[in-house]
Amino acid sequence: MASHQEQPGPTDDVLVRRSQKGSMEAFEVLVGRHRDKIYARAFSMMRNEDEAVDLSQEAWVKGWQRLKQFQGDSSFVTWMTRIVINLCLDQLRKQKRQRAESIEQLEEDLGGVERQMPTVTVNPTEGLERSELRRRIDDALGKLSYEHRTVLILHEFEDLEYKEIAKRMECSIGTVMSRLFYARRKMATLMAGYKREELS
Amino acid sequence: MNGDLMLKVQAWVDGELPGEEARQVEALVSGNKEAAALVSELRLTRGFLQGNETALKVPDSPEFYWSKIRREIERLDASGQSVPAPSSALWAALRRFMVPASGLALVMIVAALSFKYFSPATFEDQMVEVENLSEEMSSISYRSQADNMFVVYLYAKEQTKAEDESQFDPLDDLLFQ
Repeated sequence: MASHQEQPGPTDDVLVRRSQKGSMEAFEVLVGRHRDKIYARAFSMMRNEDEAVDLSQEAWVKGWQRLKQFQGDSSFVTWMTRIVINLCLDQLRKQKRQRAESIEQLEEDLGGVERQMPTVTVNPTEGLERSELRRRIDDALGKLSYEHRTVLILHEFEDLEYKEIAKRMECSIGTVMSRLFYARRKMATLMAGYKREELS
Repeated sequence: MNGDLMLKVQAWVDGELPGEEARQVEALVSGNKEAAALVSELRLTRGFLQGNETALKVPDSPEFYWSKIRREIERLDASGQSVPAPSSALWAALRRFMVPASGLALVMIVAALSFKYFSPATFEDQMVEVENLSEEMSSISYRSQADNMFVVYLYAKEQTKAEDESQFDPLDDLLFQ
């Protein structure tokens, strides 16, 4: 893991062991080291700053409580990221139960829309500065429904396989595949749209 | 291309297809312009997404952000809401099963003995008391001498909120992986 090699001081492994013995100071260093990454993952899923802060803090509290169960099978930051993802999924499920489905959402769930989108043949990101590319990606992600955004994040940014995503999102592998397909095609279309706007 | 085939092409791009199916899709893509264009777009999208997630920073100051976490940890520690280690969780699960099972066994033994050695003549004699010493189980019993029947209904007392929360904690499967 690159992040703890760049940091001065003890490695994550050492800090985790100290924290497991009850050192709150060691845990504070871990929080300081990885708080931005955990917050960023929460924000990418929730798209709300306050919720992302609250959920990321809740994840750290859970992490502390469960620290003795951390076996080191994955890196500490990966373990923490999984905790915050689960909390976000839980929160999103609660919110979904409370809000009505949009017409677009219903169309997406019925399927078919993504198949009618024209294929993007020209690279819409060519020649873009990295910061601008990231800004456009973030903007496009914000236009997806939470189901499509989450599938895309878990697959492209967290490198999870279909079956793992299905387990976490409590849906079938087929649903993961169709959501991922829609999300990618929508992203390509949105990015191509930004490129057209830039050229016009 | 139909929808299923499109999803199969995507699964091939993601390396999720087994050998034979992967070879079939590969053959399709090499001879079908529409499929090849789809593959190209899917790879393009993967390419610009990977490694280009926006880097964000927590909007609060490090001290303020940590202080809320620390307060919550201290509050939970003070209230004794610690998460059980896996071994004690296993014991708790075993206990949840063993308590009703042993309770049921006890009641059945008492009932069998009462039928064998106790032959009531009056209504008062039929009032057999079976004491339940379990803190987690309760029972309702019904006895009919005319029908030669003794029914005991066992049920769990209301669980505490903390037990419910730990039982359905969505993080459990993550933490025991």
